[in-house]
Amino acid sequence: MNYLLHILIMVNIYLILAYSLNLLVGYTGLLSIAQAAFYGIGAYIATFFVMNFGVNFFLAVLVSIVITMLLSLFVSVPSVRLKGDYFILASMGFQALIYGVLYNWVSITRGPYGISGIPRPEIAGFKFDTIPAYFTLTAVIAILIFLIFRRLVLSPFGRTLKAIREDEIAALGLGKNTAKFKILSFTFSSGIAAVAGCLYAGYMTYIDPTSFTIYESIFILSMILIGGTGNLRGPLVGVIFAIVFPEVLRFIGIPDTIAPNVRQMIYGLTLAVLMYFRPQGIAGEYKM
Amino acid sequence: MNLQIITDSLALGSVYALLALSFNLIYKTTRILHISHGAVYVASAYIFYVCKILLSLPFVISLVISLSVSLLLGIAYEVFLYYPLYRKKASLLLSFISSLGMYLFVINLVALIFGNEVIIIQKDPDTNYVIFDIILTKMQTIEILSFICIFPIFYFFLRTTNLGKSINALSNNPELAVVLGMNIRRIRVLVFSIGSILTAVSGILVSLDIGTDPNMGFSAVFIAIVAVVISGTDVIEGAILGAFLLAFIQNFTSWSLSARWQEAITFGILILFLLLRPQGLLSQKKRVEEVL
Repeated sequence: MNYLLHILIMVNIYLILAYSLNLLVGYTGLLSIAQAAFYGIGAYIATFFVMNFGVNFFLAVLVSIVITMLLSLFVSVPSVRLKGDYFILASMGFQALIYGVLYNWVSITRGPYGISGIPRPEIAGFKFDTIPAYFTLTAVIAILIFLIFRRLVLSPFGRTLKAIREDEIAALGLGKNTAKFKILSFTFSSGIAAVAGCLYAGYMTYIDPTSFTIYESIFILSMILIGGTGNLRGPLVGVIFAIVFPEVLRFIGIPDTIAPNVRQMIYGLTLAVLMYFRPQGIAGEYKM
Repeated sequence: MNLQIITDSLALGSVYALLALSFNLIYKTTRILHISHGAVYVASAYIFYVCKILLSLPFVISLVISLSVSLLLGIAYEVFLYYPLYRKKASLLLSFISSLGMYLFVINLVALIFGNEVIIIQKDPDTNYVIFDIILTKMQTIEILSFICIFPIFYFFLRTTNLGKSINALSNNPELAVVLGMNIRRIRVLVFSIGSILTAVSGILVSLDIGTDPNMGFSAVFIAIVAVVISGTDVIEGAILGAFLLAFIQNFTSWSLSARWQEAITFGILILFLLLRPQGLLSQKKRVEEVL
């Protein structure tokens, strides 16, 4: 039972990440390979406040969201003006830069040793230290974020983002400040990713930079590209494929030592084949 | 000490230059962000390792086998992955994502067979030459020499032969090249062949020098990308400028700061260039319509 709940907790965390990236990739048409960087920043900032100042976890999450959003402006404000490939490269560069900082700034992040002993979240005397309790917490937050996300993309704001995705110059011609909308979308997206980071840190009680590498960014990206982007069900399909499917692999008897490689090979191949036959992913709307 | 940094940068830059040249050749001609270039790079090093160490074949034969396999891998990418997408007139983003997918596939296949550990081909310590206080290892000399041999051939091929000129034509104006009835398919295959062989050479050089592991493909392709962004994509052979500059900055960082910050500095440079001079050092600024 706990094993099942563990998988579902991971599904919840990745759902949050997938929806956050979906806003950027699927709705705004900005292919970003930096989501793990914001995921990591969120995790590290919350951990920093919880461990050093003994701030309540939920307060730390709020602080972490705000700081991550502010930090994201350093990337989004200059780079939304970059076209196509160059935006991808800038996001990749930022991802690598953040990984470098997390890894090398030992006095704050403890570098490669990671930070251990992060306390589980606690509110009004109730501590989320059992797996079922933590599952409930992540599920509630994931549903909350899903509802916010749904409200956001069905609003005029979401429609403007879609217009930018389809034809930026036309949107500009209709008097939309496309740069502003892209920046807003980027900021929201990084804020949501920070929530996922906090939940991850609170669940694992240990974080180190290797959880927030460029491979993690690519994993999140491939997850939503396989599932499909630009609508609400695509990322759900993608997360289920990416998180639940490897567990199936375990049951058919592939040894644990080679399982990660086999998994990555399957993701890679699926991505390449899917992009040819079904560019919108399994259940998506936006065709690249 | 400063002369030493310059010498080290020349050696490192030679390897980077081969990578950047090959990447820019493919990028400029096909406009594909060919991440799988890193896969070819890793594959070449591992094939060389299999031939040289596991099968103990002579050096030259291992080299030839490794280069040919990389060539075939590069052509396979074009024929089975990029060309079908090109014919469908799919967006270049799709080519990039497929490239990323197949990169993961090849790299993990290599890791599955050989493991994730670093593989070292040359076990003996390197011979050193000392010239006026400058220490030059044998591998560094070979790196510089291979660049000196390869670059002029590449340059003259690209600028004087008909095939080279057709590559330039295709990269400067794809529509016109199609209208003039050029064999696009053949030129693209040619570009991927040359690119893959060049990247294989640098892959083998690096694996001989410091060994190789499956994850090196990413750093290799990143270095090529940063070098290309620094110099701009307009002039294919201009990429060597970015490569040597990057090598110098990296060596300077490890000498004055710490080798740990090398990667972060590299990407800092990438971001700086993208923000301040996205067209690179050697290219002209373009109008919005031309970029899209």
